[in-house]
Amino acid sequence: MTRTWTRQRVPIAIALAIVATAISLVSATTTRDGVAFSVAVDVAIACLAALTQASFKTSHPVVTRAALTLLGLDVAIFITFFLSSSANFNLATGAAMSIVLLGLSFLTGASGQISLGNGAFMGVGAFVMAIWANHHATTPIVVTLLIAVVCGALVGLLLGLPATRLRGPYLAGMTLAFAVAFIFILGSFSSWTGGDSGLQLPTEVTAPRWLDGLFHAGTSPLTTSTLYLTDIAIVVAGVAFFFMANLFTSRIGRAMRLIRDNDVAAELVGISLPRTRVIAFIVSSAYAALGGALFTLINNAASPSTYSFALSVTILSLIVIGGIGTISGAVIGGIIYAFSTNVISWITSQTGLNPQGNFASQLNGILFGGLLIVTMLFAPFGIAGAVRMLWRRVRLRRPG
Amino acid sequence: MDPFLTSRIVSDILGGLTNGVTYGMVALSLVLIWRSTGILNFAQGAMPMFATYVGFGLLSYHWGYWPCVVVCVVAGLLLGGLTERLLVRGLYGKPEINPIVVMVGFLIVLEAIAASIWSSTPRSLPSPFSSVDWHLAGKPLSLSPFTVYEISTALVVMIAVAALFRFTKLGLQLRASALAPEVSRLLGVRVGRLLTLGWMLATVVGVITTILVAGGGFFSGLTPQVMDGIFAYGFIAAAIGGLESPVGAIVAGVVLGIVNQFVDDFVNQNAVIIIALVLLIVALMIRPSGVFTKIAHRRV
Repeated sequence: MTRTWTRQRVPIAIALAIVATAISLVSATTTRDGVAFSVAVDVAIACLAALTQASFKTSHPVVTRAALTLLGLDVAIFITFFLSSSANFNLATGAAMSIVLLGLSFLTGASGQISLGNGAFMGVGAFVMAIWANHHATTPIVVTLLIAVVCGALVGLLLGLPATRLRGPYLAGMTLAFAVAFIFILGSFSSWTGGDSGLQLPTEVTAPRWLDGLFHAGTSPLTTSTLYLTDIAIVVAGVAFFFMANLFTSRIGRAMRLIRDNDVAAELVGISLPRTRVIAFIVSSAYAALGGALFTLINNAASPSTYSFALSVTILSLIVIGGIGTISGAVIGGIIYAFSTNVISWITSQTGLNPQGNFASQLNGILFGGLLIVTMLFAPFGIAGAVRMLWRRVRLRRPG
Repeated sequence: MDPFLTSRIVSDILGGLTNGVTYGMVALSLVLIWRSTGILNFAQGAMPMFATYVGFGLLSYHWGYWPCVVVCVVAGLLLGGLTERLLVRGLYGKPEINPIVVMVGFLIVLEAIAASIWSSTPRSLPSPFSSVDWHLAGKPLSLSPFTVYEISTALVVMIAVAALFRFTKLGLQLRASALAPEVSRLLGVRVGRLLTLGWMLATVVGVITTILVAGGGFFSGLTPQVMDGIFAYGFIAAAIGGLESPVGAIVAGVVLGIVNQFVDDFVNQNAVIIIALVLLIVALMIRPSGVFTKIAHRRV
């Protein structure tokens, strides 16, 4: 990895410089002047400076990852200012979904198990968020998100404790049963969860005043709540990705990969198999809950029908198509999710199908299910794995 | 007559028995496939659903109930065999998640295709027997000709499967190829064919379950998702009974059905699957290998 980095340092540095220049150029020509844009440029240049230090990557991997995350966030948030409100909404759901996918990717990549109930764990996060916000409207968003994450982790512990210890498809089956049961669980607590109609957030989330002040007075773009929520979702996703990247390379991450590849060897070097597996499952359910809580925030409401078994299946399809067990697969899956409805309606309009017809309404399932089978049979590591393999092949062919 | 037979408890037991046998049959079909191929077939609800739609599609051509049932069974045999040959064959020996993911994909595709061909509005199946409860001294008995038909068909299927495995040469070969595929192959058993046969058999058990479930008055007709909930209960039953044990699967299914009926009657409908989930968690905590299996130690 180190050698790869040294060799590719120059092209990456050039790419980053181009990005920074582009950002400066756009911010110079835009009508929305303000402190925020110069902040964006400064952050980009600072990250670039940190990343081009060759020795830095090896000596301070965490700082390097932080710089990368910051750069990604910087660029992504910058882009959101130029998108339409509906595109931003799609992007926000995609960002929230990519967090969920990241958790599932970690579970499979790290412990070789799979969950079919992450849609229900999203629902746990979503409803904890909505219930808490309805009872304590003044709690800061960050705190509410953390409460949702903790609740998701607790439910994960409850279900994971018996199932993750066993070999075989017990976890998959149990999470499937949980996903099917979730709607009934919500129904049992209908005085809290609002029954079939779900819950609305009491107030619309808007940007705090000091953040608005950073922008040009009067026409501050952050007053549109969609943009603000999109940026929140992107920042939360960035933080989640940063933590996960560190977890993957940490001691426990390495232990998990050893378990996946050879559990007997892992036990022999003293890794506790059940404990590590349960931890992986808890992390995945906590991430799912975080994504669900963001869903509530973005939609300003939580509705039980969203968190059906179909959502769990969609999550599984997205991560398998993106590339299960990889971090980039979660990003790809999130992007696919963000724009899948657009693509499907485009296909419907191009092929002249009746949009209200039976076939068009089932196109989503047929496409996702079919892709799921094809991907697993022919490219088990999805798009991310296929790209990585192509890249390796190109590198091998090139002399030197 | 005796008021005991129409009391709340007896009618719960009878109602629970009717649902329980369907859970038991799904659990049995899961165990059949799990034992022979080491795959938990997540499309075990969707494949029979599809075959049932194919068979009962002939109703529009004025076919009767029994000819339709025969077509369903044939469609189930074909679908099960083709699935094993074309989809599952390449998955043996792959990591645990590959078959799970593929079968979940198959489940989505089958449900979506079924909904796009036959629409997702429930389609009521004709019933050869009345599903109106018998009355004893003016009170309903919670037992109708249809439920008797349901329970007795389930019993016949279970006994037939058991007899096939226990008393026939084919059953012996099936057991042998599940237990020791290499040795069986050396001894001249066509293991590949038997695996296909196992999937066909399990699908047919599923088809019969689907016909019973969709035909009864309890669930309203045939829909693409008709087996989703039943599959969940079937899995719970199979896991409680131990995925290795056919008898355990059936017993756990019946018990689960009766427990569910009591919960439905005495608590509420929403609590049914929650209690079932709790039962699964408790059972796996106390006896992870299943209530009905002998504990096998894993050799390294």
